[in-house]
Amino acid sequence: MATIASKVIDNTIDTPGRRTPLVTGNQTYGSITHMVSRISEESQPLAWWVTFLLAVPTLGMFGSLIVYLFLTGVGVWGNMSPVFWAWPIVNFVFWVGIGHAGTLISAILFLFRQNWRTGINRAAEAMTIFAVVCAGTFPGIHVGRAWLAFWLAPYPSLNLWMWPQFRSPLLWDVFAVGTYASVSLVFWYMGMIPDLATFRDRSTSKFRRMVYGILSLGWSGSSRHWMRYEKAYSLLAALATPLVLSVHTVVSFDFAVAQLPGWHTTIFPPYFVAGAIFSGFGMVVTLLVPVRALYNLKDVITLRHLDNMNKIILATGSLVGLAYATEFFMAWYSKNPYEVFAFVNRAFGPYWWAYWIMVSCNVISPQLFWFKFFRTNTIAMWIVSIFVNIGMWFERFVITITSLSRDFLPSSWGYFSPTWVDIGMLIGSFGLFFTLFSLFCRFLPIVAMAEVKGVMSQHAHAEHRHDHSHGHDHSHGSTH
Amino acid sequence: MAANTLNDNVTMPASWRSKAPILAAVGFCSVLISLGLFHFGSSAENEATGFRMFYHSYLANYVFCLSFCLGALFFVLVQHVVRAGWSASIRRVAELLAYTIPWWAVLFLPIVAVVFSDHGTLYEWSRGTGKVEPIVELKLSYLNPGWFLFRALIYFAIWCVAARLYFRMSREQDETGSTEITLKLQRWAGPFIILFALALNFAAFDWIMSTDAAWYSTIFGVYIFASGMLSFFAVMILTCYLMQRSGRMLKYVNTEHFHDLAKWQFGFIVFWSYIAFSQFLLYWYANIPEETLWYRERLDLSTGWRPLGYMLIALHFAVPLLGTLPRAVRRNKGVLAFWAVFILFVHWLDMTFLIMPNVGHASAIMIVGHFICWIGMVSIFISLFMFRVGETPMVATRDPWIPDALAYQQMPM
Amino acid sequence: MSDHKPEKKAKPPRAFGWVAEYADDNKLLDAARKVRDSGYSRTDAFTPFPVHGIDEALGIKATVLPWFTLIAGATGTSIALLMQWWMNAYDYPYIISGKPFASWPAFIPVAFELTILFAAYTTVFAMLGLNGLPKFSNPMFTNPKFDRATDDRFFLWVDSRDKYFNTEKVKSLLDSTGPISVEEVREDDSSSEIPKGIFSAIFLVIMASLIPGAIVLRMRSSRSDEPRLHVFFDMDFQPKKKPQQSTTLFADRRVQRPPVPGTIARGELELSDPYYLGYDPDKTASLEASDATRMVAFKAQDAAAQDPKSAAVDPKPAPAGAVEPNYAWLTEAPIEATEELFALGKKKFETNCAVCHGFGGYGDGLVSQRALNLAQGYWLQPTSMHEDRIQKQTVGRIYFTVTNGKGKMAGYASSLTPRERWAVVLYVRALQRSQNATIEDVPEPRRADLSSK
Repeated sequence: MATIASKVIDNTIDTPGRRTPLVTGNQTYGSITHMVSRISEESQPLAWWVTFLLAVPTLGMFGSLIVYLFLTGVGVWGNMSPVFWAWPIVNFVFWVGIGHAGTLISAILFLFRQNWRTGINRAAEAMTIFAVVCAGTFPGIHVGRAWLAFWLAPYPSLNLWMWPQFRSPLLWDVFAVGTYASVSLVFWYMGMIPDLATFRDRSTSKFRRMVYGILSLGWSGSSRHWMRYEKAYSLLAALATPLVLSVHTVVSFDFAVAQLPGWHTTIFPPYFVAGAIFSGFGMVVTLLVPVRALYNLKDVITLRHLDNMNKIILATGSLVGLAYATEFFMAWYSKNPYEVFAFVNRAFGPYWWAYWIMVSCNVISPQLFWFKFFRTNTIAMWIVSIFVNIGMWFERFVITITSLSRDFLPSSWGYFSPTWVDIGMLIGSFGLFFTLFSLFCRFLPIVAMAEVKGVMSQHAHAEHRHDHSHGHDHSHGSTH
Repeated sequence: MAANTLNDNVTMPASWRSKAPILAAVGFCSVLISLGLFHFGSSAENEATGFRMFYHSYLANYVFCLSFCLGALFFVLVQHVVRAGWSASIRRVAELLAYTIPWWAVLFLPIVAVVFSDHGTLYEWSRGTGKVEPIVELKLSYLNPGWFLFRALIYFAIWCVAARLYFRMSREQDETGSTEITLKLQRWAGPFIILFALALNFAAFDWIMSTDAAWYSTIFGVYIFASGMLSFFAVMILTCYLMQRSGRMLKYVNTEHFHDLAKWQFGFIVFWSYIAFSQFLLYWYANIPEETLWYRERLDLSTGWRPLGYMLIALHFAVPLLGTLPRAVRRNKGVLAFWAVFILFVHWLDMTFLIMPNVGHASAIMIVGHFICWIGMVSIFISLFMFRVGETPMVATRDPWIPDALAYQQMPM
Repeated sequence: MSDHKPEKKAKPPRAFGWVAEYADDNKLLDAARKVRDSGYSRTDAFTPFPVHGIDEALGIKATVLPWFTLIAGATGTSIALLMQWWMNAYDYPYIISGKPFASWPAFIPVAFELTILFAAYTTVFAMLGLNGLPKFSNPMFTNPKFDRATDDRFFLWVDSRDKYFNTEKVKSLLDSTGPISVEEVREDDSSSEIPKGIFSAIFLVIMASLIPGAIVLRMRSSRSDEPRLHVFFDMDFQPKKKPQQSTTLFADRRVQRPPVPGTIARGELELSDPYYLGYDPDKTASLEASDATRMVAFKAQDAAAQDPKSAAVDPKPAPAGAVEPNYAWLTEAPIEATEELFALGKKKFETNCAVCHGFGGYGDGLVSQRALNLAQGYWLQPTSMHEDRIQKQTVGRIYFTVTNGKGKMAGYASSLTPRERWAVVLYVRALQRSQNATIEDVPEPRRADLSSK
């Protein structure tokens, strides 16, 4: 069953009882291999060069600004009293939130047996890692003397003879983000081993064969290996699922254990997680819509995949909206004057524009996805996904800056404005992200070929069974 | 495809159904006995105490039952919205569970009555202006009997309409086998999930959280949702197990389904713990007096409820987590049935923990009376469920996803 | 695993077994069952993706991998909890935000993260270990056809070490399963030599990577007479003077400047204005008793109060006023006495003073009553404001007491502003007068009210 004889062209149409094919266009196992491997074997399209050559100087700017920051001090930022946590933390939470979709797609959707994850998981996982790299930069440079950031680690120090403070949520964050980054990395790499072996076996140059040969660790595709590999994959998925949740939960603890109105509310953990998934899927759509067009992957990353992701964006966007509403209601219900003030101030205070950008981008714009037209039109969904990215950045801005700018004492109130360094660093972090992502597209398998082939085989079996069950008996035979 | 081609018996045994009226009677009697016990057992300080205890106990046990019926409704909606195949053969059980909600609306009437009697028996705020502490006084614009009843009507309206729609349409499909119905239900599931979430969130605030009117927590609705889903999966496992033990649903429900239900149950054990811990940690850490009061009532040594708190950590988290972790357990329906009963018991402890400390210190009479009331309420639930099931087949045999559900296998490991 | 490391001595290339190639997974599954049913157990399949059902078809047993995960996870939890407890509650305990040293709820997040970290890494490495990876040489790789095992072909393998292995039989069995090809797998006869450059390159890379660490270590353990490198020059050498240094800028060469005559330094107004002090500092300075004398007298009083023996003998302190400071007290309040000010004084007195001194000022406040009820024996009743001694004190003296406290009474400078303190003083004066009043003090029109009661 090497081919999928597919008469269905639009695989977004639901037929109850039948699974629509996740690979379209009469693909065979071999053509899938070719479709994906050729991307790294052939020369890159113009659009790749444009992206790469824009991203690298932006990354250079990011690096220069960091050097400038180190040489001068954090005064180059707009951080002030009382907004001590400002732009860099907003960037951190923004990026770490985006870094949730990849592992989520790999782990949670795997546990939920959502086969459509296979088309998009590799790119999403790569995106996760790059986003976490961007995220990790900001707290790193925010600690002031960044070259002493290793003091965060519990290492026996002969100079200090003291230990980190484990009752601080900021240290939990170090462990959570550190664990997440390293586990995501190993999850991503492990998922890539069979595909790297494919690259190795297709390579024509000796150098390429050697590099991919070392990276694929001598993978042979043995069934005994596959068995342990699949077991390890499902165990990792089961471990990564609570890990994904815990990371943004701990990030939310950074805020929520404080007594600051607008931060200290118990719904923060699940609400942050929902927001993170939301922003992560937003970024996946933003990246994959151009990638699938550029590399002609429309048969693997089908409209169905995008449709499903947009449904998740709709669901999590609505969840985030529900959390906003609950927070507002509870502030009103609690009759705690500080809480009430904090929330009225968000919507109608000096940062009202940030709040309403957040609401319209995060809650209102995804509602378009109730309509199938928007879920299956790539241009429309791409625009909405950009709005989601913007909205989620502003969500973190609203939470961090609006709450901090209004201290308990009106005499301490302030108004934060970013400096050019703040803005430059936000743009520069995109340079880092896109540099890494374009290198990934250039050198690594951007679609999990082995998994896509597995899904093709499964679909063929299901179709076979379906045709069978429309016959006169129900025996499923022993063929699957 | 003809209905029920597997030649499997999918109706509830008549011998069970014949016991429903007796169970109902036993249930109502037990509830009354608990009322008597509270009334005469509450040592004389004042008469209202016994009545207050009874009402809190009634509410806790009412929410105990209603929560898994709501969990069932949510399960049905979600299965439709994600086009799940594996659950097609067990979804009818959830539909039936959810369709008992209209009757729970009737059993809500005693609570409405006590809210309007303005003695503050169950809800302090129901005393009204001038008789409550100042912070509650401020909340009376939201917490007042008329508005409370109005909201409850909306919640029940949403749930009843959804439960009825999904049950009736599914039954219609039993007759016609029309796949259009599946598509229609799938389309409606999204909006209904949003309405359901809003209603559940606010019902949790109104009915449970406001028993301590001064206290508030934004995560509370999610907490109740987690408890409800967890107990729903336990009820589901138990129902399927009992049906199979009496020789029913043997072909439609197989080990794979039990395995999946057990995985869901496991997931919600973790999710409940996550939510409960988040709420506790945030209030413990910030240590703001008006927020910690709620935990003080429950965890301070003087009130006698602290052991219950520790029991929840051990029995609602650690023990079932490790107990249902092995694959072998998840694939053994007998052992799973034990864990389902266990989960339901700790769910009852959980509801007790949320509501009962509001009446006062733990006492022997309170525990015994509360337990009897629980037995009564569970009996009422079982009889209602049996009345609801009646002759209805407990498998949606002509659902288009049934072949998927039957063919589906876990990953071999 | 079915494969062995190639042995050097074997010459002609050793045969390892037979491999059959199939175009799809169903064929492979059927063939695998057939081979299994023929009794072969040293078999394997090589496929581009995990084929559903192949484990059962080949008779592959479940793996012990989950045990590694479980044990590693439990280890992670234990290590994390132990580490946090040891570091924060045992080895280096300090109080932070009022939390206990061993704050178990706060230890949960890190314990969770380390559980996952340990379990995840162990799972991956145990998987690689059990699979014998990395393994860069594999006899299967000798056949170029095998490159398609990671593309679109499915291979079934029978090992020559199988106890039923017979070349002819295996070949014909495999032929009967409808393969694309059936071939014998031979030892890898390509050169087993590793290119020479690799080792030197690896060696160089390792050596080079040690350099930064070595430099750091050397710097940390050595002393140098060279001046240190100043990266941030303007931070290390700032254009400023430190205390006790000298300068050529001023005639007296002092860096620290004395105050300009006739000025009051910021924040020192309170040290020079009688309004804040209750006495005139300039006049006090010219009084006879020097500061030194007064200090000695105070010391003696303190020592007497703290000496347990003298306390046991005589629970009463040395008579107040024995070391009465000799200040130029103000005799009139430096503030206009208005009705509003008296109201403020009453309010502040009743808030701050009355708990001990009583609303009437007799020293019978609630605290005092309670203490006397407890009858602990060492309670000294607060001073009554109607004692002769206090009656005679100047307003400045009373203000001084309110500000700085006396005996067990703490000073109220931090709770009351100077204006409030003066208001309290005036209210005390009014209280004193009220308690020693005569009928003449009552205004004429209201005397009748008194006599009627």
